[in-house]
Amino acid sequence: MTTAHTAFDQAVERCAQEPIQVPGSIQPQGFMLVLDEQDLCVLQASENAERWLGAAAPELLGRTFAELISDSFDLRAQMQYLPVDEVFPFHIGDVELRQPSPDCSHMRVLVHRHDQVLITEFEPIRTASGPSGHGDYYPLVRAFVGSVLKVSCIVELLQQSVLQIKRITGFGRVKAYRFDAEGNGEVLAEVADPGYPSYLGLCFPASDIPRQARELYRVNRIRVIEDANYIASPLYPHSNPRTGKPLDMSYAALRAVSPVHLQYMRNMGTLASTSLSIVVDGKLWGLISCHHDQPHAVDLPTRTACELLASVLSLQIESREAHTGTQTMLDMRQRIVRMLASMADHDSVSAGLNALPQVLLDFASATGAAIISAERCDLIGVTPPAAQVNALVHWLSQQDAESVFSSDNVRRDIQDLPELAKHVGGVLAVAISQIHSHYLVWFRPEQVRTVNWAGRPEKAISAAGSLNPRHSFERWQEDVGGYCEPWDPLIIEGVAELRIAVLGIVLRKAEELAQLAGELRQSNKELEAFSYSVSHDLRAPLRHIAGYTELLTEVESENFSERGQRFLKHIEEAAHFAGTLVDNLLNFSQMGRSALRMSDVDLNALVETIRNELAPDFAGRTIIWDVEKLPKVIADPAFINLALHNLIANAIKYTRGREPARIEIRAKQHPHETEIYIRDNGVGFDMAYANKLFGVFQRLHRMEDFEGTGIGLASVRRIIERHDGRVWADGEINQGASFHFALPRHSSNT
Amino acid sequence: MLKPILLVEDNPRDLELTLVALERSQLANEVIVLRDGADALDYLLRRNGYAERDDGNPAVLLLDLKLPKVDGLEVLKAVRETPELRSIPTVMLTSSREEPDLLRAYELGVNAYVVKPVEFKEFVTAISDLGIFWAVLNEPPPGSLRLTRRGNN
Repeated sequence: MTTAHTAFDQAVERCAQEPIQVPGSIQPQGFMLVLDEQDLCVLQASENAERWLGAAAPELLGRTFAELISDSFDLRAQMQYLPVDEVFPFHIGDVELRQPSPDCSHMRVLVHRHDQVLITEFEPIRTASGPSGHGDYYPLVRAFVGSVLKVSCIVELLQQSVLQIKRITGFGRVKAYRFDAEGNGEVLAEVADPGYPSYLGLCFPASDIPRQARELYRVNRIRVIEDANYIASPLYPHSNPRTGKPLDMSYAALRAVSPVHLQYMRNMGTLASTSLSIVVDGKLWGLISCHHDQPHAVDLPTRTACELLASVLSLQIESREAHTGTQTMLDMRQRIVRMLASMADHDSVSAGLNALPQVLLDFASATGAAIISAERCDLIGVTPPAAQVNALVHWLSQQDAESVFSSDNVRRDIQDLPELAKHVGGVLAVAISQIHSHYLVWFRPEQVRTVNWAGRPEKAISAAGSLNPRHSFERWQEDVGGYCEPWDPLIIEGVAELRIAVLGIVLRKAEELAQLAGELRQSNKELEAFSYSVSHDLRAPLRHIAGYTELLTEVESENFSERGQRFLKHIEEAAHFAGTLVDNLLNFSQMGRSALRMSDVDLNALVETIRNELAPDFAGRTIIWDVEKLPKVIADPAFINLALHNLIANAIKYTRGREPARIEIRAKQHPHETEIYIRDNGVGFDMAYANKLFGVFQRLHRMEDFEGTGIGLASVRRIIERHDGRVWADGEINQGASFHFALPRHSSNT
Repeated sequence: MLKPILLVEDNPRDLELTLVALERSQLANEVIVLRDGADALDYLLRRNGYAERDDGNPAVLLLDLKLPKVDGLEVLKAVRETPELRSIPTVMLTSSREEPDLLRAYELGVNAYVVKPVEFKEFVTAISDLGIFWAVLNEPPPGSLRLTRRGNN
């Protein structure tokens, strides 16, 4: 916690140090004898025993149970009814006192083993005043169990419980409250007689019940204070002779309570109280607390019935919470399955989640989410602006990588990013891959909520620094801001599950990629072997055809008819074309394999050279060249030259017949890339085939109209893609075409 | 007496076309044709069938890359490793544009490398350039004559 303890915190801590389980005294409505279990002789006695036994405590020491209490009550025989593992006071029978006191003649005997001794407590048997008349609470309990099975929500369950308990005990007001994570108790159900102030909906601050008292409530499920103005009766001697320390009365029914608590009760106008613990999953979930403005006794059968009701209630709450938890978990798992299926379908974590925005939000009951991967940051629903999400991811990357990060108050938990709290209240985040900065983040809005405290939560602190309970329990409103609806631990667990599942997918993908890379290497090798054999074996016969045809034309031309000569010419052209095709294919395959040698490239100089090279192709034609000043790019000069060559040659080729032809070469700078395009007023193309343009052997024109091998644009694409760039084209039939490529811009220092 | 040109080529059609090309380049040198790498080494090292040949190295060695028995690169390697042969200008003739071959040949100290073009005219040009450079210009024999050559018998 914070290092700067306030005086209040210190006072609360001091209060928590009070040894309330060893008060050294008891409440005076009954008396206590501490016995040695072997000889049943008295080791300690409460001073008020004198009232019933007629002898002062010091005189009782060393005497046996039988001689002090009754000959007819055989304690040792009755002890066999005490279960071996019973830790709570167990009613083993009733005794008739040797000398009846004015108010009663019979007393109940409760025994329990603790602190190495046998603790016996005696309480007067009073005439039952409850509705059952004879202490038979079975029908009531049965009715209660029947009724709780019908109610649907926990508040209703609590309401039923307080009603029943008020009926059994006759207390003026019975309320049930639940503790939140901080230990503040909110009153969820209450029944009160006229004249009792109502606390329904109010919050009792955690400091009202100090830590050690909470622990006692957890282990000992009932505590009764019959009269807040009682005068405690001390044990004699002060220490348990077996331990040399004051007797541990954690489980004793008569244990005296803290004077601070008695003051608290008096301040509240309560002179009698009974508290029943609601323990769920071994934790103190809440309390049922019964108050009366006058001293009020609760006899054993009633207490037993209340304990039973509280146990049934605890079990009911436990089963309902477990059920709700299971349902939540089930819903979450279904959503996980849907998201995983979508990721598998889309072959990508980001795309898969993006396809199911609502599922992703519902999964964490969030209003906004962000999917962050190395390349992008996708925002879904209500989120902070992308820049802040990125800042958050950066901040997260410096935290623990493995676990889920959750905060229901980012202002308090992420002080490095104060802007974030202006947009959201809470954040839930998990790293799918930290190396690739891959995160899933959910957001919830801030919810200002109004807490109705039962009095200002600060207890007054006395001059000595001890805690004085507050005097006013009047409703005191506080607005609590900065928080979102708290993240359910089940959701946090679910997010961790999602992470593991996604990691599974990512790993599998990585394996697939590795395998693919292996296969690719293999097929690359085969391709190399293939192109080698093509280059050797196919070129040779083509060369021979071309060579012999030419020789034949030269040597025997006069012996051929005109038609024969035309055939010869066709053979020669075909062989030549086939040779070019093979050469282009080889170039094309080499382009994919040879390493890029990057350097500064002066595009204007390249264009100029290419135009000169191609000059014979457009001799006699009018071409209006419109070449802008082009930027320098960083690329492999030989490859870029080839790409530009192909594009310019195409522009020249496909404007054939245009008078004049226009060829425009321009550049556009974008934030991340440099775009170059070549536009002509040639024959254009149908955009329906735009996707085919850049494929190998894809031709959109007849050979007679425009010659070509169908490899040029495929080469352009391969070259640009090897530079991590992209290519595209626009055109319309007879309206010209423009071919674009964009190269990534590198920072000036690379 | 001009030194001969040694042409090692296994493919009969490439051989014929190369000889036509050499003929058209109007070189005076005699062309000695061998058909595989083993034969070429025998000739160069004056072994076996060539033990009795006139001494002297060829003016230039035109070597096809792919040859039966002993391939072109191996012949080249042997030439470069033999002190008496080391200085023979050697030109690789091949269909291949494959980089590994090219690199290997350069590593072994080839003087030139010609990818036989499909176009016959280009081939003639390439061959005659090579011939003129290595057979004539490189070692201009005093008072040499230009003779019109008929092909290899």
